[in-house]
Amino acid sequence: MPQPTDAELIATWASQPAPLLPLLHAFHDRDGYLSDDAIRAVAKGLKMPAADLFGTVTFYHHFARTPGGLDQPRVCDGPVCRMRGYDGLHAALTDASPMPCAGRCDGPIPVLTGHTVRVGTSAGALQEVPTPLPPAYPGKGSECVFASIREPDRATLDGYRRTGGYVALETVRADASGVLGTLEQSGLAGRGGAGFPTARKWRAVAEADARGGHKTIVCNADEGEPGCFKDRALMDHDPHALVEGMTIAALVTGASVGFIYLRYEYPQTVPILQKAIDDAKNAGLLEGFDLMIRRGAGAYVCGEETSLLNSLEGKHPFPRNRPPYPVTHGYDDRPTVVNNVETLCAVAPILRNGAQWYRDLGLGEHAGTKVISLSGDVTRPGNYEVPIGLPLMELVDDWAGGPLPGRTVQAATMAGLSGGFVAGDDLSITLDEPALRAKGSFLGAGGIMVFDDSRDMVDVSHQAMSFFAHESCGKCFPCRIGTQRLAERLGGQGPSALPVWNQEVLDIGSAMKATSACGLGTAAPLITDSLLRYFPERVQQHVEKNR
Amino acid sequence: MTDTPTFELDGEAVPFTPGETIYEVSQRHQANIPTLCYDDRLEPFGGCRLCVVEVEGYRNPVASCTTVAMAGMKVRTATAQVEKHRKTLVELLTSENPHKKIDPLRGAASQELVTLQRRYGATGERFAGKTSGTSREDDPNPFILRDYDQCISCYRCVRVCAEQESDYAISVMNRGFSTQITTEFDNLLEDSDCTFCGQCVQTCPTGALADRKALRAESLPEPLEATRSVCPYCGVGCSVDLMSKGDKLVAIRPARDGGANEGALCVKGQFAFDFVQHDDRLAYPMVRERGELRRASWDEALDRAAEGLAAASRDHGRHSVYAVASGRAPHESTYTLQKLIRAGFGTNYIDNCSRA
Repeated sequence: MPQPTDAELIATWASQPAPLLPLLHAFHDRDGYLSDDAIRAVAKGLKMPAADLFGTVTFYHHFARTPGGLDQPRVCDGPVCRMRGYDGLHAALTDASPMPCAGRCDGPIPVLTGHTVRVGTSAGALQEVPTPLPPAYPGKGSECVFASIREPDRATLDGYRRTGGYVALETVRADASGVLGTLEQSGLAGRGGAGFPTARKWRAVAEADARGGHKTIVCNADEGEPGCFKDRALMDHDPHALVEGMTIAALVTGASVGFIYLRYEYPQTVPILQKAIDDAKNAGLLEGFDLMIRRGAGAYVCGEETSLLNSLEGKHPFPRNRPPYPVTHGYDDRPTVVNNVETLCAVAPILRNGAQWYRDLGLGEHAGTKVISLSGDVTRPGNYEVPIGLPLMELVDDWAGGPLPGRTVQAATMAGLSGGFVAGDDLSITLDEPALRAKGSFLGAGGIMVFDDSRDMVDVSHQAMSFFAHESCGKCFPCRIGTQRLAERLGGQGPSALPVWNQEVLDIGSAMKATSACGLGTAAPLITDSLLRYFPERVQQHVEKNR
Repeated sequence: MTDTPTFELDGEAVPFTPGETIYEVSQRHQANIPTLCYDDRLEPFGGCRLCVVEVEGYRNPVASCTTVAMAGMKVRTATAQVEKHRKTLVELLTSENPHKKIDPLRGAASQELVTLQRRYGATGERFAGKTSGTSREDDPNPFILRDYDQCISCYRCVRVCAEQESDYAISVMNRGFSTQITTEFDNLLEDSDCTFCGQCVQTCPTGALADRKALRAESLPEPLEATRSVCPYCGVGCSVDLMSKGDKLVAIRPARDGGANEGALCVKGQFAFDFVQHDDRLAYPMVRERGELRRASWDEALDRAAEGLAAASRDHGRHSVYAVASGRAPHESTYTLQKLIRAGFGTNYIDNCSRA
């Protein structure tokens, strides 16, 4: 088959919504890298300044800029993969480069080559493996988003419909008036980490004026937080739940366009989502709603909603200044809902079962559930949908089989890496925001990585901070320089007198938390905060060994 | 009539116009809020975070440059906490660049970081580590020194190029600490869309982008002085500051308060001033005598020119005379020239160099 020409690729995409990323991917796929000529052609085709486009391309770490780069292996060097033998695997693969956590912490180490993810721990035994289903529910209550995910053929339209799929959508299409009230009473809040009440967000968009444009629903599927892999399970095994949730959001808010912004590291999810969209569309379920997938290209900060919007629009993916917020000035400066995958997947079950049903899924005062991606030193890593308020150690010990034989839990990260970690007596914490906030942490997107007593928490902290430094966008000073300086200090550089080291780390952290422009910079120092709180002796050894 | 809204700025009720930011209002009062990424001609960026202020009821300090004032806000611009964070930020910035003297010749805003380093006592000792930015010593252009070792990634250069000049010649490459100001494909400025207007140089708060021509005068001992004038190049009338050391004109800077240009200037106005004190410059009228130029009086030189033009017109017809008015000439001179050509010589052969 002849390769498409530049002009054909540009003609395909230039008139589409949010064309930059798919057009760059089209050139990247055709040529195996993004050449200067390709960037020039795209800039001309989309009428963008070439200097801006060049700069923006370099922002994304998965766009290869040398011939053959697309097919060179990228090996996950996330915290869990480092415990599983990243160093050896990386060394054994020709032309391999590290990639930040690729969201496969519930299995062997992922290696991304072109658009194929293979997993394994040795170079000769890599294989393609489907996304694991969540383990059989070990709890006493019931699940929300995982309740039907293990049903056979769940990812097909027929399979999805067999357990009530699209009933909620059809009800809402007939009468959408009760949706916001139900969601409000249910207490559903953003499951991507920010915890903003979903009903309030949708109501703001419903009431906002589209000012001559259209409203948009964006699904944030840029699951880049290390240790988080829940959205992958939801999309791969229950794609129609997401399509239904987004379409309901569109009906309630009056949106006519939807984007699923999917992280680059999930290539296997693209055809699954596309088939779900196509099947739903052919069945007449998406009437009036144009739903599209847009793939990211490797940038953690694009999981921040305003960076994501800039990325979709083809701009440099720096976070935007707020206010105005996306509910009035989102995609294309028009009212936009940005919701996480898990939030959107929870909508149809809540509407079918009622607000009180969802509230009652939580323990005590807490409403609802949260999917936790549990990984690291536990017997059965995987995605667990827990009632809000579940004790952490009940999840680790009773649900996931506890630490490996002969080991004890030393620490567990929260919110992937963004919530720092808890250790010691604080491991007795319950999984709900008030309890975690009281310990200076938060649940966030629900990634929990467990480290047993064989792990060096200074090294873990160094890896974590190096990740944040690698992913800092470079817009605001405290994050750009602060993450770098903290990573250096955790890596063995910096002052060799403990009080000076401590003061520098504390001052950087407090300035980052108080003044950073987005959540990346405000969250990163929770790593050093937890290290100093729980492991001061290890810090002392670390600093003094460099004397 | 409704009352003008007010908010509380460091304990004092101050009026504001809806839509104004806290920083804009503070500029009219005594509040001394530091900034580095701010240039009042550009969209507020919110990158340097030095302008953070405390607002009662807000969990974290907010960037005053991007936060719109609201009636009843209680804003404190210099609490101990805020000043401590500012000190940390300036110390962090100081740690990312090698320490060298930044000569004020580098550009109009080049002392902004140095001034804040003095204000916060940042010496570069704290937070020492890797430095950021790589200077482009390979860029041989005669106008703009690209000393990115001194860059703090405030992007004022990129933004002034885009927002004020619409040139989009420079942009931001990479992320985080690896950020680098670049051109398309990381090339030299002369291979980019750069017009060498020098706007990036004059807005740079660290001297990372510097006026190469001005730096020729770095070793002159006299103080640097500014004399307000008007650019002589075209009829726009851009206000400029003629920068001199002693009797030597060493640089031109656009005047931020110039009514016609508000801080803008083009490559000619910015960099083409060497003729002023050049040895080749004519300082008196000259006439040619048997092929050799000799000094003459104005009367003699004008008589000679008039005779020559009149002879050409007489011998070869009125269309043998053609005038090109200089784009540098003001209206009055241009008018007089066309009058001379049309009424004096009887031809319409008159043009202007700006028509190219």
